[in-house]
Amino acid sequence: MQLLDVRNLTIELRTSETVIRAVDRVSFSLKEGEVHALVGESGSGKSLIAKAIVGVLNERWNITADRIHWRGVDLMRLTPEQRRQTVSKDIAMIYQDPSRCLDPTAKIFNQIAETLPEVARKGFFLKRNRDRKDRVKALIHKVGIKNHEAVLDSYPHELSEGVCQKVMIAMAIARTPKLLIADEPTTALESTTRAQVFRLLKSLNQLKNMSILMISHELEEIADWSHGIHVLYCGQMVEAGPTHKIFKQPRHPYTQALLKSLPDYEQGLAHKEPFYALKGTIPTLQHLPIGCRLGPRCPQAQKECVVTPTLTKHSGHSYACHFPLIKEMK
Amino acid sequence: MQPTLKVQALSKTFDVRAGLFKRKKFEVLKNISFCIGKGETIAVIGETGSGKSTLAKLLAGADNANSGQILLEGNIIEDNGIRDNQCRHIRMIFQDSGASLNPGLTIGDMLDDCLQYNTDFDEEERAEKINLTLSKVGLLVDHQHYYPHMFSVGQLQRVAFARALILDPKVMVLDEAVSSLDPSIRAQIVNLLLKLQRETGLTYVMITHHLSLVRHISDQVIVLDKGEVVEYGLTESVFNNPQSKITQRLLSC
Repeated sequence: MQLLDVRNLTIELRTSETVIRAVDRVSFSLKEGEVHALVGESGSGKSLIAKAIVGVLNERWNITADRIHWRGVDLMRLTPEQRRQTVSKDIAMIYQDPSRCLDPTAKIFNQIAETLPEVARKGFFLKRNRDRKDRVKALIHKVGIKNHEAVLDSYPHELSEGVCQKVMIAMAIARTPKLLIADEPTTALESTTRAQVFRLLKSLNQLKNMSILMISHELEEIADWSHGIHVLYCGQMVEAGPTHKIFKQPRHPYTQALLKSLPDYEQGLAHKEPFYALKGTIPTLQHLPIGCRLGPRCPQAQKECVVTPTLTKHSGHSYACHFPLIKEMK
Repeated sequence: MQPTLKVQALSKTFDVRAGLFKRKKFEVLKNISFCIGKGETIAVIGETGSGKSTLAKLLAGADNANSGQILLEGNIIEDNGIRDNQCRHIRMIFQDSGASLNPGLTIGDMLDDCLQYNTDFDEEERAEKINLTLSKVGLLVDHQHYYPHMFSVGQLQRVAFARALILDPKVMVLDEAVSSLDPSIRAQIVNLLLKLQRETGLTYVMITHHLSLVRHISDQVIVLDKGEVVEYGLTESVFNNPQSKITQRLLSC
């Protein structure tokens, strides 16, 4: 069953002069129990998409979509209150900067306890308190923090970034959501903690059948355990499909450039040999090129590229390019 | 052949408060020794709190060591905490180039300051040197009139390189300088690093946790744990045949 189905999601920012289209008609869908990744560089609108699904973007952003279906219910047509309830029950999000997203004025225990409202209403108040303590302790053990007493009794600034990130995950999984949106959960962490966090997410996916939408700018970290990858560039979906297909046969020049910049992927590269790199830099949102936004940097670009390419789809693998790297779909 | 940079038994301790009046010594680096030749790259890997950044600071002269020597081409530049003023030969590049550049100065002024304080070039020579350096790192001459906020992240990293390169250093210390960048920009910057090394024979001390990158561009690796060298050797042999448990754990994830 389709868990999340997003069709033609467009996010625009109104400024005094013009309307900036930060995300341009992005479509994707997610089945139950799958891990999908949104990959793209900074400014490609990955976080905006996540925030639009959860509904936490403020009023300056104009969100339009043909549909955002959550298990058959269109989130766009619900009233804000209904939407809030649906989202808070089933979707949880881990934000980018853990130590900044936690409340600096409250202790960790109170912050986690706040995410368990249903416990607070049952039973006599002594039992209620005990229940709450037990639940919080169980949660914090589940994410792999061993010295729970010290951690629960401290403020976010006293903890390291890795522990903060684990606390964020504990808060997100407190209500056993169906979908977990992880917005760059490991950028601030070093390799051993990063591996721990990934192992934790992976086990949640396998044991609880929790779907995960991973947002990342590194292809390599999600390559071996995600089912599907969606590559974004400047707010446009350039390529999407099952992970192994994208790694084996990238069709979009941008995906290929991303893959070729990974030292692990390029087997034939000699020691200290330069990488393949696209020229130029990511355009800013104010100066987006028309048509295919990769156009000015693309090695294959031709006259037709000033028209936005449509998404061509073939057996689950779709790409938006006038001149794909492999022409025929077999 | 004389090694470019040689570090002998470098140690650093910090005083930390323990109780009201007591102070405790905390050893951050214990007996670090390594040497590296011209045009080679040494990578320092390890977990957080293993003393990687302290080592970078000591090398760049931002902090003084308690004991040990740093030798640059055979000359002692730091001996038991006394630093010879030779900051122009070892330069450092920081993690967040956007935050480490002065927002109130144009790029040209900033580079000019570097030259004014460290060399006795006259105005014409300085201008020429700035133009040369900017073109070396792939920026335009006109960029010297720009302020840091007008650049993108990748370009800011290039500006940081220009600031380090302008004094013709022999050693460059890169403290997580490439790992926080976006992949396509990282590829560009790594290519720039490799090109500069090929052309000028720069020596890099690279501090990073991006292991596949370490494997690609470094010649030697030091693995640090709690201030001690647990493994030191050629990159290929360390990666293919890690001896210590800590290295095995680092490489396996």
